[in-house]
Amino acid sequence: MKFRAVMIDTGPMREFSNIVTTISKLSKECVLRLSTDQIYFIVSDDNSGPTPPILWCEIPQSMFFSEYQLIGVDDEHKDIYLGFISANLARPLVTLKSAKTLKMKLTKKQCPCLTLEIEMPSSTSPQTRHVTHDIPAIVVPRKIWSDFQEPQVPKPDISIELPPLKQLRTSIDRMRTMASDVVIRASAEGRLTLQIKTDMAKVSTRYKGLRVDTFEGPIEHSDSETESQINEDLSRVCVCRVDAKKLSMFLSADQISHNRIICSIVHKRLVILCLQTDENVKLQCFITGIVY
Amino acid sequence: MKCHVPGPNVKVLGRTIHALARFGDELYLESLADCILLRTLNASESAYAMLKFNRNFFSYFNYNYYSTEDNEGLKCKISMKSALNCFKSPAHMDKQVENLEIKLDPEQCKLIFQFKCKHGIVKTHFISILDSKAMEAVYTKDLVPNRITSSQRILSEAIGNFQNSDDQVTLEALAQSVLLRNYIDANVDLSKIIRTQINIRSVEFDSYIIGFETIITFTMKEFKALLAFAEALSLPIQLQFESTGKPVVFIIHNGSTIEAHFVLATSKPDNVTQGTSTQNSSRVEKSKRKDSNLEQGSASKKLHLDMEVSKCLDEDSHLFNFVDIPCDIVDKNNCDNIVNSEKTCVNNSVMSAMDCDNIPASPTSRTMIKSVFQRCFESTFDPRSIQRVVLAENSDSE
Repeated sequence: MKFRAVMIDTGPMREFSNIVTTISKLSKECVLRLSTDQIYFIVSDDNSGPTPPILWCEIPQSMFFSEYQLIGVDDEHKDIYLGFISANLARPLVTLKSAKTLKMKLTKKQCPCLTLEIEMPSSTSPQTRHVTHDIPAIVVPRKIWSDFQEPQVPKPDISIELPPLKQLRTSIDRMRTMASDVVIRASAEGRLTLQIKTDMAKVSTRYKGLRVDTFEGPIEHSDSETESQINEDLSRVCVCRVDAKKLSMFLSADQISHNRIICSIVHKRLVILCLQTDENVKLQCFITGIVY
Repeated sequence: MKCHVPGPNVKVLGRTIHALARFGDELYLESLADCILLRTLNASESAYAMLKFNRNFFSYFNYNYYSTEDNEGLKCKISMKSALNCFKSPAHMDKQVENLEIKLDPEQCKLIFQFKCKHGIVKTHFISILDSKAMEAVYTKDLVPNRITSSQRILSEAIGNFQNSDDQVTLEALAQSVLLRNYIDANVDLSKIIRTQINIRSVEFDSYIIGFETIITFTMKEFKALLAFAEALSLPIQLQFESTGKPVVFIIHNGSTIEAHFVLATSKPDNVTQGTSTQNSSRVEKSKRKDSNLEQGSASKKLHLDMEVSKCLDEDSHLFNFVDIPCDIVDKNNCDNIVNSEKTCVNNSVMSAMDCDNIPASPTSRTMIKSVFQRCFESTFDPRSIQRVVLAENSDSE
């Protein structure tokens, strides 16, 4: 197994640092999968054994690295899967914001390590200095690679573009203090409603005029939970109730400079939040619906 | 003694107290005829700081304010907490305080800080004097072979790369560059710790003289404190050190008014190091283990009890103290008021210096073992040293 990659542009380096920082906020541990074209960050649910990943981030290597060499165990297993404590990876990478170059290598220094060699400019002279971080990693054995496959999700009933994350986050964070779960409702007409209900109050935030990417209607509503505004065609509204904390965690990803965020909903079952950047980084978060 | 500190200098004094507070819990103040000395020592007696304020730091300085006969200098010990309380926000102090008056009367039991602030506000702090002794450390600084002068920025930028959880830093001084890395305890699970190494080339420093390539390890907390102090005063730092086990001295001064010495004990590097030197040194250790008839506990994990002992001896340097005091009388000039503990630094370092001279190339495990079992190699065997070893074993709770 061999891995070596070099980054020399400041833009992608900053972006990479932001991505890893975001992932470290969303999870304690993550898996880095290295393949020939993409690198992936995969986060599984912390507390419940082998489940499909809840976060899936793919980064096209050619957009970030000027040099990229990867040799797997054998021809059948060309990829490398490495497990990290997310914070360990994120903290050394924070310094990338002012760095000149980054070299990443897979090394064995008493334990498997991802070695980061960061070349930092000196503030006092034209010299550069070399900072080396050995981040301990766990090489994920081949037999459990299948736990880290891209989740197979049902076709979403609706895909709608989200309003700016910052706005969304402020309302979710307020709601989160009052209730543990939020109902997300998206209509084919481009309306998005976030709603919480407590014994005392019902709070909802509505956005309209959002772009709808796909709609696979009509939706069948069977129970009373889906109350709607007057003269709205229920069959064109898709609903899912999710954990407010998980949703808010994803919304903290707004420090990655994204160009669009799509929210896809499988009616009453799943919300998929997908962030895409100009560099074709795709960060997907899977939040399962809560059904009472 | 009575003196006045002008407003801008009060800020400097405040910064000083804050830096000293990161070192020790007690503050020793000594007033001499032409300067005031502030000293502190940390609880484990591995770090010492001394600040000297010359007469021209003060707008008024009268050493003989209360009495005229005393030639010996006024001394007092106060608690650091009460000193800190006087200087709560050093950053803004120069804007509020116009003048600070410090009074020390040998007949009284209080040290008086009187702040004359803007708008006629006067704040007076009466600080209880705990003791009227002084404490002084003995260390060599001018004769050492290794001297680096660095702007504080280089060092604080470098330290910024380490994690907050790192508590010790290893400095490897090579002819062309300095390697800084976080010190990894041998008992720590390697799969949890990030190992960081920073390579700073010698040209980055203001001056760089390495007469003797060496590796020293010292604590991060105190190092950060002195860096913060240097940063606050934007003064360069001079590092003066000799070899593993001997104290490293950081000197910060502005030439005329203020001079600060920060002395940190250094300990031996472990076998767990980073980067290219790792493989080399461990290989060396392996070959050593074969030809040596001693148990080389330091390199193997099985014998970590041995190693803990050796580490105890290394770090808790006063264990050596009682054994060694009679035989080395290095500093005769100012032995009068040496606090017991302070000799330890020197004793410890003198010992390891002797060892290091024998094996200058790799001051890793062999030197450690030799310094631990040194007594065994000597013709006059002192059984007390054995006892010390046993003692250390029992008290490994640290």
